[in-house]
Amino acid sequence: MNGVLLYARSRALPVTLAALAGTTAFAVWAADRMDTYLDPHRKLPLVALAPLLAAAVIGGSLHTASDELDRTAVRPWWPRRQAQLLGLTALAAALLPLAVLGDTPGFGPPAMIRNLLGCTGITAAAAAVLGARLSWLPAFGYVTAVYLASGGVRGRAVTVWAWPMQPGHEAGAWAAAGGAFLLGTVLYVVRGARPEGPRG
Amino acid sequence: MTLVETPPAPVRHAHPLRAETVRGFAPLAGAAVLLTTAVVLGGSADRWQGGWAETRTELHDALLVLLPLAAAAGCRQGGRERRRRTEELWGTAVRGPLARFLVSALPLALWVAAGYLLAVAGALLATWPYARGDRPYLALLPADTVALAAAAVAGQVVGRLVTWRLAPPLLATAGFVALGVSLSARESAGRFLNPAFPVAVGEVPAGWQPVAAIGWTAGLVAAAVLAHAARRRYAALLPLAAAVAAGAVLVTAGDGPWRTNPAEGRQVCDTSTTPQICVNARYGELLPQVTAALSRVTDRLDGVRNLPVRFEDRTGEPRADEVQLPMLTPIGWSMVRGRLTDPEQYAWEAVAALQRRADCDALDPRVGLADDAVENYLAPSPAREQFDALDARGDQEERDDLERRRAARARLLAMGEEERREWLSAYFATTGSCDSTEVPAL
Repeated sequence: MNGVLLYARSRALPVTLAALAGTTAFAVWAADRMDTYLDPHRKLPLVALAPLLAAAVIGGSLHTASDELDRTAVRPWWPRRQAQLLGLTALAAALLPLAVLGDTPGFGPPAMIRNLLGCTGITAAAAAVLGARLSWLPAFGYVTAVYLASGGVRGRAVTVWAWPMQPGHEAGAWAAAGGAFLLGTVLYVVRGARPEGPRG
Repeated sequence: MTLVETPPAPVRHAHPLRAETVRGFAPLAGAAVLLTTAVVLGGSADRWQGGWAETRTELHDALLVLLPLAAAAGCRQGGRERRRRTEELWGTAVRGPLARFLVSALPLALWVAAGYLLAVAGALLATWPYARGDRPYLALLPADTVALAAAAVAGQVVGRLVTWRLAPPLLATAGFVALGVSLSARESAGRFLNPAFPVAVGEVPAGWQPVAAIGWTAGLVAAAVLAHAARRRYAALLPLAAAVAAGAVLVTAGDGPWRTNPAEGRQVCDTSTTPQICVNARYGELLPQVTAALSRVTDRLDGVRNLPVRFEDRTGEPRADEVQLPMLTPIGWSMVRGRLTDPEQYAWEAVAALQRRADCDALDPRVGLADDAVENYLAPSPAREQFDALDARGDQEERDDLERRRAARARLLAMGEEERREWLSAYFATTGSCDSTEVPAL
């Protein structure tokens, strides 16, 4: 078995891929059951929650069981970490829009991909700061809180802080989600997941 | 030589609950609940700040997010012994499984509840300086706090049973979806079992409703804990029976325990104006601002006949001799943080309320001219100049229309005081009617 396969196994990538496929299947099933013909806003829970779940799955795969051993390695880890995070994000970005294909103005594939980038960014940053096992917590708290808070709020600032709830064409929301993704990726790639130890 | 023997320092055995409370994941979970509530409240501040009932409703609605979060936090805590590989070691402990469970479950539940209560205190403090009457509503708080703590404990039971690393986020998402779907089921009586079910701003619960709600959530979770960790598992039947009884009461009572807030039915009035101005008692101290905003209207209507007696602001339809005061609630539009956002717009809405022609399908141009001239005299819309400028750049018909409107406005302004009062008296005798023949010519 070569190094790449061993790395993939040590990061539980087969289970992660299966979980991403399961998330997509669930999203497609839920989208099929939603009656969004009259009101595209009804797609909002799906466009907010499916990327959140996918990001949690990706965040879970950033866990390493042999942190101290890893740090003794000769080769640098950052290219592997980068490939893992970007590869899984790209895969989820290719899969999740399948749930919102078709004529859904505002809450179609662009919004889904933007939310995935934003959620993955927060989750990756949380993995670097809190540890991979708990990386789902900040993104879940923030996205669901914004889901409740942003209804009926007016002004320009809301398109930035409530980026997960905006239609796909809002530039401010893209900037916020893109910024979160960039920051999270850099933080994780440079520092790796925070060691959790046996007491975590 | 003598040896001085110092007695050994007494060994202090801190209670295990203390260590569990001050260290580990529990304080972090409390902080997560506090921060999440802060995001909910901070983003929607325009909607609730300054209204006690609105603040209560916003805090209760946050449960939709906080319950899954608390359950997920509990689920993570529940998997701790497995991650530490201390399960076998615990098996040798003197204490029974229930005590061992509670010693890790209770601190987390307490921190989650403390995080929520801290957010509640912050929200009440934030509303206080902007409140314009009324009092804080705390009747929902005990049941909501218990529901959060119960969710944290229930999540912990799940965490003990499910070994997957992704169990906490999955539980959070599933909980959020389940609560959300239950909210959208508006007809079914089962929605009253949802601890996060929406409570309208104008509703208050009967005294026994929080007790039944606490019995339902706490009973259910106590049954789950006993079934999971008690030596005699059949003991779970007792809290289960209590939970089922409380749940049955909640379902059969339905809307029963929810009644209209008595404060909604009272109002505070200024009787010195024509028409008189009344504001709902829930924000009665706003009356001076409303009176000031409408002062131009009421001053110019002094001595005019055929006006309604007062602007009223109660729930339900206005009486025959009253008109509805332009809406101040929901908070966030006309009223934000105890202030009128746009007094000019508000005064224009009040004039439109006096004209009572919003329901007319099509208005005769003569009625439209009279209405426009009266609006211009009493309280012009802030957007009037913009509309006039648009018409001035429009086609011939729009420009002619604008000319006629300007001429009618000028005629009303040019009238003598007494003549105008008579004309307005005749005009207000026709408000509410869509029939053009009755409106006096201008």
